[in-house]
Amino acid sequence: MFLRRHLGPNEGEIEEMLSQMGLDSLSQLIEETIPEDIRLQEAIDLPEGISEHAFLQKITALSLKNQCSDSYIGMGYHPAIVPAVIQRNILENPGWYTAYTPYQAEIAQGRLEALFNFQTMITDLTGMELANASLLDESTSAAEAMSLLFAVRTREQKKKNSTAFFVSNRCLPQTISLLKTRATPLGIEIILGEEEHLNFDDRFFGALFQYPGKGGEIIDLPKVIEKAQAHEIKTVVAADLFTLTLLEAPGKYNVDVVVGTTQRFGIPLGYGGPHAAYFATKEAYKRHIPGRIIGQTRDADGKPALRMALQTREQHIKRDRATSNICTAQVLLAVMAGMYAVYHGAKGLREIALEIHRKASELNALFNQLGITQKNTAFFDTLHIEIDAKKLEELAKKRKINLFYPDNNSAYLSLNEATTEKDFERLKTLFLDYKGEKKAAVFEEKKNLPAEQLRESAFLSHPVFSSYHSETALMRYIKQLERKDLALNHSMIALGSCTMKLNAASEMLPLSLPQWNNIHPFAPLNQVEGYTEMLEKLTHQLSVITGFAATSLQPNSGAQGEFTGLMVIRA
Amino acid sequence: MAGMKVVVTKTDELGNIDWADLNEKVILHKDELAALMITYPSTHGVFESNIRNITALIHKHGGQVYMDGANMNAQVGLTSPAAIGADVCHLNLHKTFAIPHGGGGPGVGPICVASHLAPFLPGNPLVKTGGENAIPAISGAPWGSALACLISYGYIEMLGSEGLQKATEIAILNANYIKHRLQDVYPILYVGNNGRSAHELIIDLRPFKAHNIEVVDVAKRLMDYGFHAPTVSFPVAGTMMIEPTESENKREMDRFCDAMISIVAEILEEAHHDENSLLKNAPHTLKMGTEDEWKFNYSRKKALYPLEFVSENKFWPSVRRVDEAFGDRNLICSCVPISDYQLND
Repeated sequence: MFLRRHLGPNEGEIEEMLSQMGLDSLSQLIEETIPEDIRLQEAIDLPEGISEHAFLQKITALSLKNQCSDSYIGMGYHPAIVPAVIQRNILENPGWYTAYTPYQAEIAQGRLEALFNFQTMITDLTGMELANASLLDESTSAAEAMSLLFAVRTREQKKKNSTAFFVSNRCLPQTISLLKTRATPLGIEIILGEEEHLNFDDRFFGALFQYPGKGGEIIDLPKVIEKAQAHEIKTVVAADLFTLTLLEAPGKYNVDVVVGTTQRFGIPLGYGGPHAAYFATKEAYKRHIPGRIIGQTRDADGKPALRMALQTREQHIKRDRATSNICTAQVLLAVMAGMYAVYHGAKGLREIALEIHRKASELNALFNQLGITQKNTAFFDTLHIEIDAKKLEELAKKRKINLFYPDNNSAYLSLNEATTEKDFERLKTLFLDYKGEKKAAVFEEKKNLPAEQLRESAFLSHPVFSSYHSETALMRYIKQLERKDLALNHSMIALGSCTMKLNAASEMLPLSLPQWNNIHPFAPLNQVEGYTEMLEKLTHQLSVITGFAATSLQPNSGAQGEFTGLMVIRA
Repeated sequence: MAGMKVVVTKTDELGNIDWADLNEKVILHKDELAALMITYPSTHGVFESNIRNITALIHKHGGQVYMDGANMNAQVGLTSPAAIGADVCHLNLHKTFAIPHGGGGPGVGPICVASHLAPFLPGNPLVKTGGENAIPAISGAPWGSALACLISYGYIEMLGSEGLQKATEIAILNANYIKHRLQDVYPILYVGNNGRSAHELIIDLRPFKAHNIEVVDVAKRLMDYGFHAPTVSFPVAGTMMIEPTESENKREMDRFCDAMISIVAEILEEAHHDENSLLKNAPHTLKMGTEDEWKFNYSRKKALYPLEFVSENKFWPSVRRVDEAFGDRNLICSCVPISDYQLND
């Protein structure tokens, strides 16, 4: 039975402990501990436990009800290649996944260094001065940016009561929805629109742009930023990291905050998460940055050492005036994404990005040939076409190809790192069939990036990003860092503020199955029956355990759950 | 953040909610009372016996009771948020339901609500989810971190009804066992009516201030014994909060308790610990231990292998004690070439 593996003490030890404490039985202890009027009279109404072997069979069988399609849905999530060396040595390694938040810096230098690399990767790619060690997701990160800009309004803006926040309608719908959730209690008014037709005035304190937009269009970012700044409006750019390997860093245009996801850097889709978002800003706002920041300091010998910086912003010190909540990072995923950059380096990342762009451009040429209107003038990886969506969807489903259909007359499709030549041929054939054509013309290499915005500044020039490009070297670097960290695979971590129990290997194994980890969150529901069943069962189990009627699994942290609970009460 | 005003209630000397103070504040704010937020068992590690009266009082004045699920590991199968009279709670699947901590994330923090709040559970603009009058999205993805939910699902499936309850009982047993072993050398803050802890306990280290020892010194010294410190100075400054969980066996807890007891002896050896004492120099690195010169007035063995078990599974901190304040005065948050890094105070 699994119970025997999950529990530390065996029957003999339990007896021994009870007798040392002068107790006759476990039930006597429980009766002395929990007040009688709240004790449950009956066992909770859930089935008996099953063995680890039975669970693995069950969860594998259930995974087959999820269909792995070629996903070109995009919308903030893309299939990614997790380098095997990172999957095996970090994601599947208890030395990394069972560690606690690195408060005890002296026994956490390994993950602190990995996070330091992550921050360096982000500041380099975005061209900003300061990045944190990750946030929950891109939408949350955008909302945090809005809050920050609201907090640092000029005296003039406060006097004039500038409470409007401009959000480009090219932004991801999930981000817009989350911004609304967060704006309401702060008294911020969200104003949606197109940046081209935007007339800024002093109602606005800030603005958010998506780069590239959800449909793939790359806006003239320097022009838009300049326009906002002429009205003293501070700006946030939600930027795609692969795009930034080819286009100039937003920091060069003097934007105030850059946010986004690092999911494409080797993090599985996982039907929506977990992934690490990033948040980068100017040093001037350092006291307002949300989340954890890893900083360098020195040890008792004066040698460089890392630890979490600016902890005075955190809730256990500042209480309700805190600008940071300790629970808002995705460390394991940030470590993986940072390691992905360490493994590929600047050149490797650019090559991946260029290959993605080449495929998008080739597809664009095919659309020209076929007379399908493609609406983006400049793009990186995502195309926006005018099409009979019903007809296309039907043909696509037969080939297990998922696209995004914003309405009946159009589709978005996003190329990604995981698109093989074979996948790509299938994708092209889909459109040839749609038009009843036989053959695609030979593609003449052509880029569709905005010429004025091409990247000139260097990035990832620190040696850590060029020293570990072979598997042997990276495997040893990961091990070298792991050895500096004390995790549950070494000894007990008896934290009252957290519950550091066993994270059983058989609970973790399913995460490595492609039918679980390679599913897009916006995949059609009839392709994700395995997930639907698992999530429904889990929500039922949690409702039974708490004695409540309903459960939402959406919040990604305790703090976010708490916020949700209060918003629900408010509603 | 949620647009509500916070009114803090007092706790009495036993660490419980101060009933008189709560009554007074509830009456004072009754027209605007939205919710009471509580942690149960309390952050002090105690099952307050008055809890049902507290939740009834809030309901009587039109408020909702929000229970923080941080301490759910003491409840599963034995009591429940609904049983104590709460209306809504969040859970920490990365605490109670076996999702690993990952070095500080991922986490999953579902909220569970009574039927009258179910219609408002959060939605998503692209995928149908949440209640009929859903509030807008809380996370970008419709089911948050769905992949990580597999872990909690596996945990509950494999333990089942009986196993979940047994796990809670052992979590409580383990905490009380540690309390039993440490109570002669460390004052225990807050216990229940029968002298029991819940699934965690708080030990008081403030008496050692007389020896110039702070809680951080003990936390760093524990590293020399191969242990990560328990929670430091939360929720009470100068204390440690210990939660062993059900997954630790007696041998491991004994090693931890032996270390904690041994550290007390080390503290008491000196009336005043100066800046070069055993505890102030902790943790000790391999480099310190292998230098030709040993410049401390205690032995290498005492510093590095203070108890027999340590030598079998020694953990070496890779740096000496870090200077917290220095880094904040000289903020460096991304890699710079080592030559650019100058130590100036």
